[in-house]
Amino acid sequence: MQVFVQLLITGIAMGFIYALVGIEYTLIWNATGLLNFSHDKFILFGAYMFAGTYVLGLGLPPVLAILFAVLTMFLFGIVSAFVIFNPLSKLSTNLFAVIGTVILGRIMIESVRLIWGPLPFTLDNFLRGSIHFGSVVVSKAHLVIIVVCSLITAGLQVFFKTTKTGKAMRCVSENKTAASLMGINVPMNIAFTIGLSAIVCATIGILVIPIFNVELQMSSMIGLKGFASGVIGGFGYLPGAIVGGILLGVVEIFGSMLIPSVYKDCLSFVLLIIFLLVRPSGILGNKR
Amino acid sequence: MKVNKTSALIAVAAIALAAILPMFISNNYHLNLMIQVLINIIIVVGLNFITGLTGQMNLGTAGIFSMGAYTSSLLATRLGINPWICLIAAVGMGFLIGMGLGYPSLRVSGVYLALTTIGFSEIVRILMTNLTGLTGGALGVTGIPPFSILGHKFQTNKEIYYLYLVIAIILIFNAYRIVNSKWGRAFLAVKDNPDAVEAGGINIASIKILAFTLAAVYATVAGSLYAHYVGFINPSAYNLEYSINYVVMLVIGGIGSVPGNVLGAILVTLVPELLRFMENYYWLVFSIITLLFVIFLPNGMVSLFKGKKREEKAGKGAQANGR
Repeated sequence: MQVFVQLLITGIAMGFIYALVGIEYTLIWNATGLLNFSHDKFILFGAYMFAGTYVLGLGLPPVLAILFAVLTMFLFGIVSAFVIFNPLSKLSTNLFAVIGTVILGRIMIESVRLIWGPLPFTLDNFLRGSIHFGSVVVSKAHLVIIVVCSLITAGLQVFFKTTKTGKAMRCVSENKTAASLMGINVPMNIAFTIGLSAIVCATIGILVIPIFNVELQMSSMIGLKGFASGVIGGFGYLPGAIVGGILLGVVEIFGSMLIPSVYKDCLSFVLLIIFLLVRPSGILGNKR
Repeated sequence: MKVNKTSALIAVAAIALAAILPMFISNNYHLNLMIQVLINIIIVVGLNFITGLTGQMNLGTAGIFSMGAYTSSLLATRLGINPWICLIAAVGMGFLIGMGLGYPSLRVSGVYLALTTIGFSEIVRILMTNLTGLTGGALGVTGIPPFSILGHKFQTNKEIYYLYLVIAIILIFNAYRIVNSKWGRAFLAVKDNPDAVEAGGINIASIKILAFTLAAVYATVAGSLYAHYVGFINPSAYNLEYSINYVVMLVIGGIGSVPGNVLGAILVTLVPELLRFMENYYWLVFSIITLLFVIFLPNGMVSLFKGKKREEKAGKGAQANGR
């Protein structure tokens, strides 16, 4: 029983990570119609910015470092919106957009390698250790992931439902022409969305540091699985990304009890293909 | 088929150049690069059918290529079958993959298809790394024999270059004929307006599967050629980055045009080598150059040569549409 609970918590924690990845690219997808194939590099960038520059480089306390990392990533998101995403979304087919974001990712990973070096490193005292609830042992990192991710998802829902900027962002994703007729500055709004997405990416990057260490390949698998979770839950629909992510995390952790754990990574792609063939709209995708 | 004189001349000149060039090259590494260019050309020309003409985003090239390479090399090393028969087996594998990947493309398209093909490619990579008994796992397959004709083994880089050059020219010519045939026009029409294609009495399903099969066969053939050339393969290189490289070649050269594909494959394989003098920065500089290309020259290098004609046509079309 306690093994079951421990596995469940680990699964939910990973699921929340996938869910956040799903949210982060769904934001950009809804705002620009582009799939951000460089999103895993955004996550990587956030993690390196936090661990490499602000904590190890400048020696800031974690709270301040998180604040600065998130702020830097927000600015980076806005700049990349004007330099990359806006020109790309004007091109005729989405093929160019795919290539454009992919190459942006390449440029980012090369910059990371040049700035912070190719060797992996980690933060020793950051979210380490475990907490005991009776006989159940939960690692601190997983607990923090669950708490922070729930706060972010709830916060985003409130932001989209109640604030003026959030409503404008939903409007832009519904219909750009109508939005600009209603006096919404569409390019500015898109830039803000991408900045927001970059913030979520930075958060993911910081949260997974205790699990994966800081290295160049740390985010490529969660990036791909995030795509899978979005499709499973319902593509382009935020609650869908959350449901799909958590489902994927839990299925993965219990699946690895049934099949050899080296095939664990296969599971999410098999699920992805099954869903695409049988129910492309996903679990919650009955909106479309 | 109408071939205008200048393009025929350019083709002949290019083939002559490709045939003469190795005579002046003694550096083995340079020859190795040229063989790599030939293999890449075959893949990109194949990818052109599905991604360039039919407009279906295929990001699973790595998976297809490695399936071809593994089919061929496992048959050759485990069962001792002649490499040429292994090559035919790789073609058969290409057919199977093309059918298998073509079927989802009937139901899903655009970004969904890109994700399906990525999923396929990742599954292939994970299986090849972990099915240690069959594939040798992360260590890969070693001792793959080279091709031979009448007992003569193609072992030096120069011999292999000429053999592969002949194969590549046949495949490129074949692709050129297909692009300019009824099939090629049907592929293009599926990209431009699927509804009109269906109304015109063309079966979209079979056209898409055909395009996928052609692309897969070209990639598996390239995989087989690669395996029998280097004599050693392992699964670690065949990730998403690898697949993307081929789409970059397609975009840089020119989508939909066979000469453009050839040009793209040559440029994307060789330019990073020319930039090597920048040492640590060469890949960064190359990535920035490609990004600028995608944003400012989305139709590729070929649009520089025949840009005016195309623009005029496009302008007329846009006027006719009342835009």
